[in-house]
Amino acid sequence: MSTAPVIPPQLLAVMVRGVSVIVSSRDAAMRPSLMRAVGSLVEDEGREVTVYLSRPQSRQVIQDIAATGHVAVVFSSPSTHLTVQLKARSASMRQAEEGDRPVLAAYLLSMEREIELAGYGRELTRAMLAHKLEELVAVRFTPELAFDQTPGPRAGARLGTER
Amino acid sequence: MNGLALQDIRACFEGAIPAVVATCSADGVPNVAYISQVFYADERHVALSFQFFNKTRQNILANPRATALLLHPVTVRFYRLHIRYLRTETEGPLFEGMKAQLAGIASHTGMQDVFRLLGSDVYEVEQVEALEGEPLPEPPPRAGLLGAVRRASERLARCASLDEALNAVLASLNDLLAVRHAMVLMHDAALQRLYTVASSGYATSGVGSEIGIGQGVIGVAARERTPVRIGHVTNAALYTQAMRSSFDAHVPDFEPVLEIPYPGLPQPHSQLAVPIVNGGRLLGVLFVESEVDLRFSYEDEDALVAIAGHLGAAIELLQAATDSLEATASAPPTAAPAAPLPPLPVRHYAANDSIFLGDTYLIKGVAGAILWKLLGDHVRQGRTEFTNRELRLDLALRLPDVADNLEARLLLLQRRLVEQGAGLRIEKTGRGRFRLVVERAVQLVPA
Repeated sequence: MSTAPVIPPQLLAVMVRGVSVIVSSRDAAMRPSLMRAVGSLVEDEGREVTVYLSRPQSRQVIQDIAATGHVAVVFSSPSTHLTVQLKARSASMRQAEEGDRPVLAAYLLSMEREIELAGYGRELTRAMLAHKLEELVAVRFTPELAFDQTPGPRAGARLGTER
Repeated sequence: MNGLALQDIRACFEGAIPAVVATCSADGVPNVAYISQVFYADERHVALSFQFFNKTRQNILANPRATALLLHPVTVRFYRLHIRYLRTETEGPLFEGMKAQLAGIASHTGMQDVFRLLGSDVYEVEQVEALEGEPLPEPPPRAGLLGAVRRASERLARCASLDEALNAVLASLNDLLAVRHAMVLMHDAALQRLYTVASSGYATSGVGSEIGIGQGVIGVAARERTPVRIGHVTNAALYTQAMRSSFDAHVPDFEPVLEIPYPGLPQPHSQLAVPIVNGGRLLGVLFVESEVDLRFSYEDEDALVAIAGHLGAAIELLQAATDSLEATASAPPTAAPAAPLPPLPVRHYAANDSIFLGDTYLIKGVAGAILWKLLGDHVRQGRTEFTNRELRLDLALRLPDVADNLEARLLLLQRRLVEQGAGLRIEKTGRGRFRLVVERAVQLVPA
């Protein structure tokens, strides 16, 4: 039986659609590292999550995930501010490949739409998410904890673990 | 710190694109959070808004190391700040500056009471890291701002009346800084309100419209005596919308009940309100706005603060100069043969000194009291020539708490009368003197 947290449909839909993704880890000295992902893929109702990091921008985060396994990832919709944070203590990493291109393309399209709704042109989104496929690392993990972080006093509420 | 200075990336602190901060708990669990505000405190420090007792808060108290990710709003280059938590400030200039900016953001959707800053978390910046990427071109550097401030100051220095000074400021903003929408509001200390005395670039002048201290961007700039600058109003509004759904039951909508509509843009994207302060006293607010995102930069703020400083000094000097002058020779009265129109009924409501010309609302408060006195003297004694000094003495007897800044009240009245075009006018006849021009018989109706 999976112990992965149940993510409410409204928040799961946001994650699946493709919204802003920030990936964080920490080193042995407890110094946190972070970078924005350039793509994401959420499968199996949120039990399997893949985020794509550009290596030249994310050396420390990638190194920290490799060394400590700790990963914290926030999904947030720029247009609605619905936000969810996932945490895990282990993750696997691999080089991105040709097969990942459709995922990255779909993500870019969704982000262009999201960020347009927040009032910015597509040019900004493309520059923000610019990358080279051969420099991408796919970080895959199963969330152990999930939190609703939509701005407000309830931000930080842990999402249930019962399925 | 390495080669890159915090100063070099001030544009990243505009708040247009939310920043994120990573922290780590004492037991080694990382956490990511969006931060409403990363505030440039000085060349070595930033302050992060502390609004809720959340995980970030717990973490930094246990482990002061944090990393923030910022995005340049124009070039879209990423920057990482490696920072160390020092302390939390809950009062003082830094806190007030942040609070005002945050309150300004919140006020657009009536979130003043909810979107509150509990503290300014001050961090030392250990390193500024510029990330690789494919940034967009840098905007061309803006030239000539200092020259613009100088020319605005020269124009102000030539002014001999409040009317001229306000026109000089609005014209300078338009001509020298390409600001297309601007207004000046004066402070009514007794009523804790601001009233518009001059504006440019709006469909209606809005002269006489009022805003409460603390209400909106303008009111907050006044209350906190600090500039409030918002570069992306729609984004800010969206953010507060998300907050709002949690609070709808507790937050009453603010109701701007105004006799004269506020002239502002229906959909502003950028706003900047700068308090006009002189000798530590709040005199008013200089406000500019734009339909363009990120229209006003730190440099614009610097320029406006300088211009507002000059304006504040000019207002006080002109007031003092007017007060010191005795009315000596009275100007010849204008022969104004009244057109054969039926008398204009002028109603006065004593409760708030509001005046109606016919059925049309004109003005209230001190300006209303002034007009009622002038018209009374005119009807009873046939007077048309008046001095600021006698008006001040009269008001001091009847309205001892509110007789501040008479020049601004007279200007407000003068402009409202011109806009109404009902045959009543006030004309300056010299420094500290003016004439009431009554082109049509009036019938005074105390209500």
